[in-house]
Amino acid sequence: MRLLLVEDEVDIQNFLKHSLTEAGYQVEVAGDGRSAEQLAIESEHDVLIVDLGLPDKDGISLILRLRQIGVVAPVLILSARRSVDDRVRGLEQGGDDYLTKPFALAELLARLRNLMKRNTSATSETTKLRVLDLELDLLRRQAVRGGEILNLTSQEFVLLEYMCRNAGRVVTRSMILDQVWGMRIQPDTNVVDVHIYRLRGKVDIEGHRPLIRTMRGVGYVLRDR
Amino acid sequence: MFSETGKPAIMRSAAWRISLWATLAFAFGTMVIFVFLHRFVSNDIQQRSDAWLSGEVQVLGDVAGRTPKDRLYGRVVGEVAELASRELPNKPPNMRENESVFFFQTAPDGSMALWVGKGDGLTFLDAIRRRKKVTDGPSDLYVQKFAIPFRLATASLDNGSHIYLGLSEKDELRLLRNLRLRFFLLWLSIVLIGFAIVFYTTRRMLAHVRRITEAASRIGESDLGSRVPMTNRNDEVSQLASTLNTMLDRIENSVHQLHTITNSLAHDLRSPLTAVRAKLEIALTDETKSGESEGIVSAIEELDRVTEFLNKSLDVAEAKADALRIDRVAINLDDLLRVMIELYEPSMSERGLLIRLRSTGAMEISADAALLHRMIANLFDNEMKHLPPSCTVDASLHVADDMACLTLEDDGPGFAEEISAHLFESRVKGPKSNGRGLGLAFVEAVVRAHSGSIEASNRVEGGARLIIKMPLVARSLEVVSDRPMAVASH
Repeated sequence: MRLLLVEDEVDIQNFLKHSLTEAGYQVEVAGDGRSAEQLAIESEHDVLIVDLGLPDKDGISLILRLRQIGVVAPVLILSARRSVDDRVRGLEQGGDDYLTKPFALAELLARLRNLMKRNTSATSETTKLRVLDLELDLLRRQAVRGGEILNLTSQEFVLLEYMCRNAGRVVTRSMILDQVWGMRIQPDTNVVDVHIYRLRGKVDIEGHRPLIRTMRGVGYVLRDR
Repeated sequence: MFSETGKPAIMRSAAWRISLWATLAFAFGTMVIFVFLHRFVSNDIQQRSDAWLSGEVQVLGDVAGRTPKDRLYGRVVGEVAELASRELPNKPPNMRENESVFFFQTAPDGSMALWVGKGDGLTFLDAIRRRKKVTDGPSDLYVQKFAIPFRLATASLDNGSHIYLGLSEKDELRLLRNLRLRFFLLWLSIVLIGFAIVFYTTRRMLAHVRRITEAASRIGESDLGSRVPMTNRNDEVSQLASTLNTMLDRIENSVHQLHTITNSLAHDLRSPLTAVRAKLEIALTDETKSGESEGIVSAIEELDRVTEFLNKSLDVAEAKADALRIDRVAINLDDLLRVMIELYEPSMSERGLLIRLRSTGAMEISADAALLHRMIANLFDNEMKHLPPSCTVDASLHVADDMACLTLEDDGPGFAEEISAHLFESRVKGPKSNGRGLGLAFVEAVVRAHSGSIEASNRVEGGARLIIKMPLVARSLEVVSDRPMAVASH
């Protein structure tokens, strides 16, 4: 997986390069708009990460310029502005995504994965999800663990489905709110934690290995090993 | 389009009122002038006919005195009287003389001696006898069977007999009636034309004011970039438009500066925060430092709280300055509340709180989805932070006066007295609050940015009450609904 990172802050650049390489990406780095354009012309990338505040160019113009010269790879936009302007919204509708700073690495990775998935769009529509001894029947909206049917509400099922689809990977609270409830909010209170806690009470039944793990400071993960 | 008062829209416009009052004033004024004119004219006409009567009766008196009292006397005097009647003042061209003029002479004993006129004259004699007071000049005489009185002039002869000459006031009244009729027609057409002219011009002028208002409200709601329309004329209206535009220039400039400041502030703070968070995350995954992970995790959580605080402060600052970027979409408030309550219900019941929703059904408003989500999250967070266990939160949704009306009530301690006047100001929080006092300030700003209103009060039976009103989407879709709609087939 080839990735082009366009970010001018050296600290963040280093951190991202390091972490993304560790996550299995081949990372190329550009510190400004011009070199980013150069790199994009020279070689092909599967996904781009573009910071909006570049020293020589506005990130959006860069993305539009890249689209003009035929770059089709999806873009994850990094923004320090929290109110998203219309042009970013436009790009988001065009299949790109955005993330406001500061972000959790887990969230960045998850959004990258989502982008690539969207791009390949060859997600085979499965009707069953299986993680260890947990099985989800997506048609009948039913979850079974070790032969026992779990008594979940429909919302809990959606939450569990989301976690199963991302099994083994960390999902943050804001990702859960975004994907399961369709909201980009940051509640002051522990609303997501209580939902996870309840779900855990139903999924991690006695005599079975606990599946849902809390990653403090980051989010949650559904164990797959 | 009819309002709830049942008046057509045009009758509620200022142009209608202005032209109505202007026309009424004009109509009244001209009417008063006419009344004076009418009195003057009618007096003048009466004087003329009186002068004629006096002159003629004098002549007739002379003739009667000089003519010998023989067989021909009656004929001579009668002829003279008839001739006189042909020179009537105010005489219409084709009138039959005898109907409006009479002449007779009485003998010294009061019996009738000579009669010229229609009929036998006895009723006239009778009327003259029944006259109460007798004046020198001509006076009114009311005769039986005649609706209109006569003017009567009298002359006494030497032999003690009297001659009378009477003239019906019919012609005089007819003249005045003609005058009144013509005046009324003219007056009516002038008043109507005047009304139309005044209405047309004020309407044109006010239409421009309305365009300015529409443009201004549009600008207030969404983009600060557009300007109100200007005219070429250099009148008050165009001065208003240009003043508004200058003001808008200044506001746009300030808002732009605020955006620049908040954005650069956000950027300046966020980038180092991102870097710090990144370093902490690396440290957390570093196996060799696993013993310190607890400290690192709490540092990350602390950092996230700082970030959230920064976000909210900037949001409230932008919102207070009416600089929120709003991207309106149609949102069903009923659906949204249900999802939100579903999201918050577990945490609330965890704290021993109960939340209930009463709603009259689907309710569409046009709003920025992200802002609305955060607004409701803020409201619920607020309830959770301030309510002691075993309290109930009642959310209710209904429509009132074209507004979606959301009421949140609880049976908790209510708002503290000392802050209730400043609830919606940022950094204002109750003595026992552990928040940062941004929640309600943000809520109020979002509501205001959507042309809504918010009210907070303490309930009489205890607890707090918040009433939020936001305009329904129906108002802006009114135009659309005029078009014929496709009929759904089953």
